[in-house]
Amino acid sequence: MTGFAQGLLGALLRDTHLITPQLFLMIVATLMLWPGDLFFNRNEKHKWAPITLVILAITAALVGRTPDGEGFSRMFRMDGLTRGFQMLCVLGAAGTVALSVKLLNGLKQQTVEYYALILFSLSGMLFLCGASDLISVYFSLELMAICIYILVAYLRDRATSVEAGVKYFLLGAFSSGILVYGISLLYGAAGGTTTNLADLNQALALTPTTSNLLVFSGVLMVLIGMGFKVAAVPFHMWSPDAYEGAPTPITMFMATAPKAAALAAFLRVFGAGLHGVSSDWVLPLCYIAGASMILGNVTAVKQESMKRLLAYSSIAHVGYMLLGVLSGDARAGAQAVWLYMLIYIVMNTGAFAVVIYLQGKGEGERIEDFKGLGRKHPVLAFAMMIFLLSLAGIPPLAGFFGKFYLFKLAIEQGFVTLTTIALLTSAVGAYYYLGVVAQMYFREPEGEAVPMGATSVFIVTLACALVLVATAFGPWLVDWATKITWV
Amino acid sequence: MFTANTTLMLVATFLPLLGALVLLLVPKDQRRVFEIGSLLVMIVSFLMSAVFWFGYDRASDAVQWAGSWNWIPSMGVKFSVGMDGISLLLWLLTTFIGPIAIACSFKSIEERHKEYYIWMLVLQTAMLGVFITQDMFLFYLFWEVMLVPMYFLIAIWGGPQKLYAAIKLFLYTLAGGVLMLVAILAIYFLQHKTTGGYNFSLESFQAMAPVIAQQSKTYQILLALAFFIGFAIKVPMFPFHTWLPDAHVQAPTAGSVILAAILLKMGTYGFVRFLLPILPDATRMLMKPFLILSLIGIIYGALVAMIQKDMKKLVAYSSVSHLGLCMLGLFALNPYGIKGGMFQMINHGISTSGLFLAVGIVYERRHTRMIADFGGLSKSMPIYATVFMLMTMSSLGLPLLNGFIGEGIILMGSFQAFPWAAVVATLGIILGAAYLLWMYQRVMFGPITATNEKMEDLNLREILYFAPLVIAAFWIGMYPKPIMDVMEAPVRKLVTQVNPDFYKAEQLAAQQAIAAKLGMQGMTAPAAPHQAAPGGHDAAPAGHEAPVHEAPAHGGGH
Repeated sequence: MTGFAQGLLGALLRDTHLITPQLFLMIVATLMLWPGDLFFNRNEKHKWAPITLVILAITAALVGRTPDGEGFSRMFRMDGLTRGFQMLCVLGAAGTVALSVKLLNGLKQQTVEYYALILFSLSGMLFLCGASDLISVYFSLELMAICIYILVAYLRDRATSVEAGVKYFLLGAFSSGILVYGISLLYGAAGGTTTNLADLNQALALTPTTSNLLVFSGVLMVLIGMGFKVAAVPFHMWSPDAYEGAPTPITMFMATAPKAAALAAFLRVFGAGLHGVSSDWVLPLCYIAGASMILGNVTAVKQESMKRLLAYSSIAHVGYMLLGVLSGDARAGAQAVWLYMLIYIVMNTGAFAVVIYLQGKGEGERIEDFKGLGRKHPVLAFAMMIFLLSLAGIPPLAGFFGKFYLFKLAIEQGFVTLTTIALLTSAVGAYYYLGVVAQMYFREPEGEAVPMGATSVFIVTLACALVLVATAFGPWLVDWATKITWV
Repeated sequence: MFTANTTLMLVATFLPLLGALVLLLVPKDQRRVFEIGSLLVMIVSFLMSAVFWFGYDRASDAVQWAGSWNWIPSMGVKFSVGMDGISLLLWLLTTFIGPIAIACSFKSIEERHKEYYIWMLVLQTAMLGVFITQDMFLFYLFWEVMLVPMYFLIAIWGGPQKLYAAIKLFLYTLAGGVLMLVAILAIYFLQHKTTGGYNFSLESFQAMAPVIAQQSKTYQILLALAFFIGFAIKVPMFPFHTWLPDAHVQAPTAGSVILAAILLKMGTYGFVRFLLPILPDATRMLMKPFLILSLIGIIYGALVAMIQKDMKKLVAYSSVSHLGLCMLGLFALNPYGIKGGMFQMINHGISTSGLFLAVGIVYERRHTRMIADFGGLSKSMPIYATVFMLMTMSSLGLPLLNGFIGEGIILMGSFQAFPWAAVVATLGIILGAAYLLWMYQRVMFGPITATNEKMEDLNLREILYFAPLVIAAFWIGMYPKPIMDVMEAPVRKLVTQVNPDFYKAEQLAAQQAIAAKLGMQGMTAPAAPHQAAPGGHDAAPAGHEAPVHEAPAHGGGH
């Protein structure tokens, strides 16, 4: 017995270096929540955001330094895919934290728990990026999601925020159930021996034809469960409400970091684990992706709230990214999705920063509030225009390169019809993005110009600069993405 | 990396963009600086480009001043540029129209000058870029970039319905553009499958034509349709033309001028450069519907133009009709047709810009464009009436002016290939004369009202920007040979690519002529249809008719 325990402990210690970033995050977040002023002074509210940013910078460094490897009974895997998507999650979280300060100060809701929850959730995402076993996928997904449920309902004296949280929680829990049921079916179909993705792939290949239906139902349920997490149509109903009700930085958080992590899991589960039974999921996933693009873009056209517009557009963007998951060449697919996600996070952070900036002054919720922004704040409006045009994928902006790389891959893999739908719906996307641009530039402003606030402006400028740099270096970015290796 | 000439070409292309960046630093209220600065930039760019007119080697059909630079090696994208006669002409047309478009905006643009001139300059670079690129990826990039400045030009400085018009233009063209992108990518991967390499260069795409010809019929037709819709929206061909009247009517004068003179030519250029040489077989398979759409465009555009009450809308619909004629020429797939189509592109660029400028002039003075509001203007504005008349005549194809040359050659070409189509097209030309003259009559003659009596005639600035157009119209109309020479070799190459039977048939006809002279007609005549048949495809247009009409006409040309 002691031998076993020692062996287990030894194995745990041996593999610990693979999860240093997650361990670091969990320890720091726990210390932040420590009662009393033992480690962090609870009264120095204005310091928490900078501290969290420093923690995130350290996490990013740790992610970069973590060596490749597999551990914890092959439940977690550190490789190029993991590292790439982990970086994206950290980036998304950093943007969220930087943008939270002003809004939370304004609402007098600045608490340390907020930042701790973001860090806990981030550690779940980092696990999820590298989860190589259906069980660890499920665990990390829950760790990530439960923190976000709380964050969505964070403004607890606002009915919309609470409603959003409850809705998100109920549907999220429901979809987790479906996911677990799917996992159990696959486990059974594979002979009840393994849930490791690589082993599962081999085991499923050997299943007798009589259990085809079992495998199919399992795959479909996993697909549905994951579909809920990335808010793909028809499992997207929670997302516009959750987006609208959540505090805006959290809306931005939901649109970026958890999506990146969930897509990494999507790529790994379907690209590695269920690759052998791809005939079971390719067609349903095609429909899901197509429906996401069409419904996401078409519904966004009618929105009057900026947050809802961005919610629907993020559904559409997930639809595009699912093209990468569909790719038969899983590695190229991961590269394309990664590149798209990177650019998407930067653009989205920028766009949300503008929304938050305007919201700090009681505007920014409705698209109408952007009226005349071009006159009032030329810099802000210009940056917003860059983000929107880039989101629409107008060349030569960075968003175009992301789209181009993804669509090129999809055509190469033979999904011509789906890509045509993607391209045509992205033209629809241009319509509502340009609608906002039109509000900013072609409508007369109401009210006086107000001087710009510091933090959001910094983020806006930074994101705009990043998009422009990515635009200038877009082609090289494409070359760079091909370096994301994944066995 | 690039030769001196190539560098000069790039400088002429990117100079407007550079100018825009410099103007960005000038404070907003310096209206004069923006006006004069951007005008100077455009003129310098034009002068630089004029050098290429003289330096062009007219005997060669190769891409000249070619330069290439590896841009995205992993995808085979190169920043490669160069021009042949076809691109050169349109490139020069763009630099030629540029200063005129700036000069006509001095008075009509009354607000937000800085943004206006910057967008105009950016637009100019994007348009020039389209004509010099020799890489499909780069082409798509320029093609889409062009849309953003145009969107802003219409949406900020346009008429009452500007937002609607701008977004319509944007979405239509974007939708067409992305379909084209799918087709480009499909060919790109087909190429990868056959050659193993990744390459976006135009040359390699054209070299794919035989490989594409071996693919299934559906594949070819789908590819051709994707290209066709992309370009047809831009041209615009019926039934994709509905964005055009809206955009034209709402755009500021300079926007309309550029839209008509250059942007529409991108579509026809796309046909000449991409659809015809890359997908010759599919083009011939779809020839009937293409032709019918062109003909509908000619007649429908003319009929709708006739009933317009708004002068600008009338000119806009006349564009639909004229470009239908241009497409008819291109689809004839013989040297006359294609040369005529090219000619018509340039002529339309000159005469329709002239008409839009003329409409802009009265609009600036009276803030109305309704035909009914005018009458008898020839009394108060004699110089204006003269210029307007010249532009009208040039547009309707009066001999001695440019329009006649283009229309004449198109009709020759299309008569060789499809006599019935030429007959229908003639009807369109007659209608064209009718609506243009009728408009002229209603605006210029008849009783004059008190307001119209007080209208000022053209001032020096206005005369100066009309002058180049008038000179060009006369020059092309009286001595079209220089332009003919420039496109001779590239058109010949294009016809060999898209319709190889044409020259076979031509040779055969020449042989027949010699044989007839020698009195051995009886021996060669039965062989003639036999020889042409194996090469001829389902709809090979020139295969059978050509020898009969062609031999004397073309023999004389050489």
